[in-house]
Amino acid sequence: MKKRMSLLLALMLLTITVLAACGGGKTAEQPPSQGEQQETPPAEGNGEETKEPPAEGEDAGQGYFKAEDPSANPKAALNRKDTLVVGMTAPKGVFNPFYMQTAYDRYVVDAIFDQFFALNGDGTYSNRLAESVEVSEDKLKYTFKLKPGVTYSNGDPVTVKDYAFAMKVYHDKSYDGQSDLLSVHIKGGKEYNEGKADDISGIKVIDDNTIEIEVTEANAMTKDNLGTVYFAPESVYGKGYKQGNLEYMKDLHAKPVGSGQYVLKNFSPGQEVVLEANPNYFLGVPKIKNVIYKTTTDETKLAMFQSGEIDMDMVTVNEDNVEALKEMGFLDINIFPTNGYGYVALNHKDPKFQDVKVRQALLYGLNRAEIVEIIYGPYANVINVPQSSESWAYTNEGIEPYEFDIEKAKQLLDEAGWVPGADGIREKDGKKLDIHFSATADNPVIDALIPIMTQNYQELGIKLTTETLDFNAIMDKKDKGEFEMFFAAWGLTPDPDSTVYITDGQQNDIGFSSPEYDAAMKKGLNAFDLEERKAAYAEAYQALNKNVPDLPIYQRRDAWTINSRLSGVDITPYKNFAVDLYKAEIQQ
Amino acid sequence: MKQYIIRRLLQIIPTLIGISIIIFAISSLVPGDYITAVDNPTMTAEKAAQLREIYGLDKPPVERYFTWVGNMLKGNLGDSLVHKQPVTTVMNNYVWNSFFIAIFALIFSWIIATFAGVFSAKFQYSLFDKIVTLVIFLCMSLPSFFIGLLFIKFFALDLGWFPVGSMKTSGLNGSTWDQLVDIAWHMVMPVTVLTMLSTGGLTRYFRTSMLEVIRQDYIRTARAKGLKERTVIFKHALRNAMLPAITLMGFELPSLFGGAIIMEKIFIWPGVGQVYLESINMRDYPFMLGFTVFISVLTLLGNLLSDVLYGAADPRIRLK
Repeated sequence: MKKRMSLLLALMLLTITVLAACGGGKTAEQPPSQGEQQETPPAEGNGEETKEPPAEGEDAGQGYFKAEDPSANPKAALNRKDTLVVGMTAPKGVFNPFYMQTAYDRYVVDAIFDQFFALNGDGTYSNRLAESVEVSEDKLKYTFKLKPGVTYSNGDPVTVKDYAFAMKVYHDKSYDGQSDLLSVHIKGGKEYNEGKADDISGIKVIDDNTIEIEVTEANAMTKDNLGTVYFAPESVYGKGYKQGNLEYMKDLHAKPVGSGQYVLKNFSPGQEVVLEANPNYFLGVPKIKNVIYKTTTDETKLAMFQSGEIDMDMVTVNEDNVEALKEMGFLDINIFPTNGYGYVALNHKDPKFQDVKVRQALLYGLNRAEIVEIIYGPYANVINVPQSSESWAYTNEGIEPYEFDIEKAKQLLDEAGWVPGADGIREKDGKKLDIHFSATADNPVIDALIPIMTQNYQELGIKLTTETLDFNAIMDKKDKGEFEMFFAAWGLTPDPDSTVYITDGQQNDIGFSSPEYDAAMKKGLNAFDLEERKAAYAEAYQALNKNVPDLPIYQRRDAWTINSRLSGVDITPYKNFAVDLYKAEIQQ
Repeated sequence: MKQYIIRRLLQIIPTLIGISIIIFAISSLVPGDYITAVDNPTMTAEKAAQLREIYGLDKPPVERYFTWVGNMLKGNLGDSLVHKQPVTTVMNNYVWNSFFIAIFALIFSWIIATFAGVFSAKFQYSLFDKIVTLVIFLCMSLPSFFIGLLFIKFFALDLGWFPVGSMKTSGLNGSTWDQLVDIAWHMVMPVTVLTMLSTGGLTRYFRTSMLEVIRQDYIRTARAKGLKERTVIFKHALRNAMLPAITLMGFELPSLFGGAIIMEKIFIWPGVGQVYLESINMRDYPFMLGFTVFISVLTLLGNLLSDVLYGAADPRIRLK
């Protein structure tokens, strides 16, 4: 009996697999026919692509790809005449300019609050609430003039007193947000932070619309840092404020009051943030009345575009996703370089990595182009300087591309004294050249990187052993300096100043040191003229390129997909959509 | 009975102390903390040190443990580092969403499992039994993310019957009734998938215990005295067959509030499972520990509840 049952089961399972296979065949057949239907428009589309963005025209992997068939727009989206739905990872509900920390909470804060400055597409700033800014000759005094007549959504006028109050919060000793205004060195800031003073002596309110800030140390970023403090009404955020007690702020996270483009109407945790246009916005009423930030996940973004439930979202850039989005026809895709880069870190405290020739050999001997091609296809490129190709500080001049050249790598290792031993593994002073690689678990980059690296380095005569660890565990090893090699990615700030490669820099956890680079970076930070800074950073990157502090691998792409019924959505690697949301329009 | 319950409640205390020590020890052994997890590229070392001091992360683990337990005794689970709000507020924000789908999935899976179990026991080795077994094993063995995505493909995209995900339609401003209908409409797919996953195991339980009961002498007696088959099965047999199920019921209690991580991700359901998972990745210890303690308390209470109910239902094991 039992046997017969299992036989029956097996039989039924078999039929089901066969059926499933049929089903699979059908679904596999269908999309190509859809593809055929759209084959005519792509021809036009291609023409447009080459016409439109001549900026990176030769690169099919980035640029603004217009929708090819806006008429395919789903009804659900077309019916939403005065509402824009933006898909994103769930905001955490910290809609407080002092405390927000995820990018998604920032999208909300940027729509509700304003600063003296607003970010431009290229990472520089222009005036928003500021009417004018004066900088003294010695760069130590900054006088900001506020535009008159701006009010908060609760009716209170915006004054520079709110700015002065915000500074007190940032310098409070119990302030545990992520902003670090102490590093701007405002005069008297440290004393206030330590509780030795009741006021920050460097901040002088001259009248309701004028404020003067004095700093003790200035650099190229001081003005931008001072100009990007969010204005929040002291009457709301300062009620009950005492130095050392910011507990009450917790209750304000969900009830933001700002002077910005939108006001918060409703927040359902994990579901959506509903924003409504601020009818009194000082730059003009936002053109879209309602904006909803709706929670999406990677698994369902494409489906939600297709059903028209979302108008905009950031989709992971890979060949499958881009193809699927283009196939839908009614979506614009804005693909741009990610503001960051992936690299393989080397521990400079390890004697074998101290020889520059070994580091250069590791770079020459690694087929980075192949790795990048496998992971991202056309949607990433090999990099040689730790800077985004979009940045004003980026340079190509005098940069060695380190193209894959195993012979050159072998030669460099020979010169460095590492010679092949009996088992083919190179040795120096009786020590084998083996490298221990700490790999992050579940990382597609690692999956492609490790096999190629193992193979390439084996050919070079290097033994590569890998262990797989949780990301935080690797970061912990990094902090303790107990690693040889790991893969990670850095996010970049709009300004090229960074401490990642500076000798004993705060984020220099690989122990790299180059006096040449340090000097150039210092020059760049302390110069106030853009051309001067450009020259300094070019020098810095050349020094890095020569010394190979780590193995730079790739800069990948990010993309915002935008329903073609929208126009005026301004997004660049530096500027998020919320900054100029009031200019966006629904056209139907 | 009262004494028994009090004794059991008192026993919970040392168990909870043990649990709190273990989970705290594990959390402090795990490398990295919230500051490393945030991995802010512009944070200076001074700022990081200052934040660690404010969060109390610079103190030795033993001291941190006692601060944490001390606060917990006062009813204060601390503030979530990610959400910047009290842990209880964050839990309250998300737990109920998880509870709604879990309770419906529970009700449906118990109803279906009872009937499927009873009939497949009644007609053991019949075609019905085999089909039920097959279907149940299929539902159980398909990975949830796979069924979930398949459902989205068929029912949301191809047929357009149900929304792709999330809990309500964005921008809908109807009456309370309209909104309830909207939520119910969004619940259909996640509840169905959850029900599919949990029905299988239950059906097997019920089938087995029904098979045991159905062969007993008193059932034969009931039949012999001429009772209708329906009365025999549902009144006499089912009652006894359901006894082991009471134990299962107690174990379901924590899972009602625990959230379903994969399901929530696929159907973008704003439940607590995802928040919990994120708290582990982000090393948001106050939330992670608080929620783990909450689930442990529910598990212990669920155990107690099933023991008490079992005693009430089955005189044979009643305690004196």
